[in-house]
Amino acid sequence: MMKPLLFKSYIGYLLFFLASVPLTCYANFSQNLRWSLDGSFRLNLNEALGNTSRIYALGLDTHKVFTSPTGDIGYGVGQLYYTKLSNHIPVPFLFTSKDDSEFIIREAHLNYTAGPSWFPNIRVGHFTLPFGLEESIDTNGRLLDYYHGKNLGTKLDWGLSLNKVLSQIEYNVSYTLGGKDKAKSVDGSYVVTARVGSLSHLDFVLGLSVLNGKIDGVSRKRIALDWQYYYASWGLLGELAIGENNNQLQGWQEEKYSLVELNKTTINNQLKLYSQFIFKDRESQQSADKLVNIGFSYQVNTQFELSISAGMQINTPVSGKKKQLARVQIRYRY
Amino acid sequence: MKILSILLMLILISSNVNAIAYCSLRDPVSQIAKLYPQKTNQLSIVKTVDDNTRAQVQIALPSNDLHFSELGQHTLYIAMLGKNALGYVHVRSEQSDWGLVEIVWAIDKNLRVSNFTFQRCRSPQNKKIAEGSDFKDIFIGKNYQELKQLLSNDGITANKYVLEKAQNAPELANVVLRCALKTLLLTEILWGDELKKL
Repeated sequence: MMKPLLFKSYIGYLLFFLASVPLTCYANFSQNLRWSLDGSFRLNLNEALGNTSRIYALGLDTHKVFTSPTGDIGYGVGQLYYTKLSNHIPVPFLFTSKDDSEFIIREAHLNYTAGPSWFPNIRVGHFTLPFGLEESIDTNGRLLDYYHGKNLGTKLDWGLSLNKVLSQIEYNVSYTLGGKDKAKSVDGSYVVTARVGSLSHLDFVLGLSVLNGKIDGVSRKRIALDWQYYYASWGLLGELAIGENNNQLQGWQEEKYSLVELNKTTINNQLKLYSQFIFKDRESQQSADKLVNIGFSYQVNTQFELSISAGMQINTPVSGKKKQLARVQIRYRY
Repeated sequence: MKILSILLMLILISSNVNAIAYCSLRDPVSQIAKLYPQKTNQLSIVKTVDDNTRAQVQIALPSNDLHFSELGQHTLYIAMLGKNALGYVHVRSEQSDWGLVEIVWAIDKNLRVSNFTFQRCRSPQNKKIAEGSDFKDIFIGKNYQELKQLLSNDGITANKYVLEKAQNAPELANVVLRCALKTLLLTEILWGDELKKL
């Protein structure tokens, strides 16, 4: 059953598209509109839990540039996915049981870009929090993961952002409501996030991010440094975040997180291999978690992609059960 | 049921798509500003590069093909100064020995190369040569027919004249030349009619 608020928000987004048609003298609605159907099947083998699960997703991915005779006004992105779980544990927050199904809005936002060169673009809607590597490398719908949601409390949130690409730097500052999938503040939730970095298309990218917010009753403060370096078909990426969480029961607890990734892409861009080392340390835990991920994605053609990843915990946690997760995903965009 | 019907309807009229999610699409804002520093805005025109377009490229440029990532919907940007078009910007990818190279082409209203810069060229040595004026002069000011004369008989590598000018960077010269030819050809095929109306 689709959540009424999500449904209304998405319909609102579509209505904005339609309402904009008469305003855009240059183009009719179908012009400058990209859309595709995006279907995926994901198989998860969780050794630590002794569980095998599947996730099926089918969605509509849209992108529309709004124009006037003198130039672009802005663009909108809308992604609505029907997602079905099968024996998936732990149950993600958007679902109520391990076999639940839901309509999920991923990205749904409008970005106004027509201001003067010094004036920031203004984004409104449901978008990825501008923090760390995820700001320039999108992992939505992929096995590749930079643990954005786990570290910050949510990956996407409803709100407003000011963003711009300048000649030497790019920035993105957002205020969001902290309701995650809900377009409202829940029990005083809010998130202020910001990232400033060098231009993300360059061979060396450096970014600084900060976050201050409260989601699900947990207050979080973070500061992070991210970097990317590319040489020929090799890439070396990293993110280092430090901060603290306050979940009211334990008070403020320090958190440290770091990720280092080495990746290699074939010269025709079809095959991408990556390996990651992740270090997570929480003051409340006896020992730090150390994880290793390896994986690849193979783009068979414009539509079809196969991805496989495997993750393993190096240290032994108190429970004695090391995390071991293997995943396979087939994705088809039509 | 209604949603399934809508999805089925959309499948029936769908065309080639890009393999990446649209939320990761980024306009080459800083490069457009670099190529047209006086521009006040840009006007996007999105067109679809499909199998028919690919076939036209193969006929016009035998031995050449479009990379699979070049299929799908792509944007031509018109650099605007108020209500006047200054020229066009077209970004295209070309495979090289050091991975995909993405070149941002500035094209004048007569469809001649007026300048270019790199969005991605992960070989510092080659990028340095390519950004030099001697190298750029090989391509700047030329239209499709004039650039085509720079190809050697195999249809995919640059001729002796270009290689001599490009000193020490033959692969770079080949890549940039192929990319320039495909860019001007696709601009004419896909956007030509629309640009004439401006």
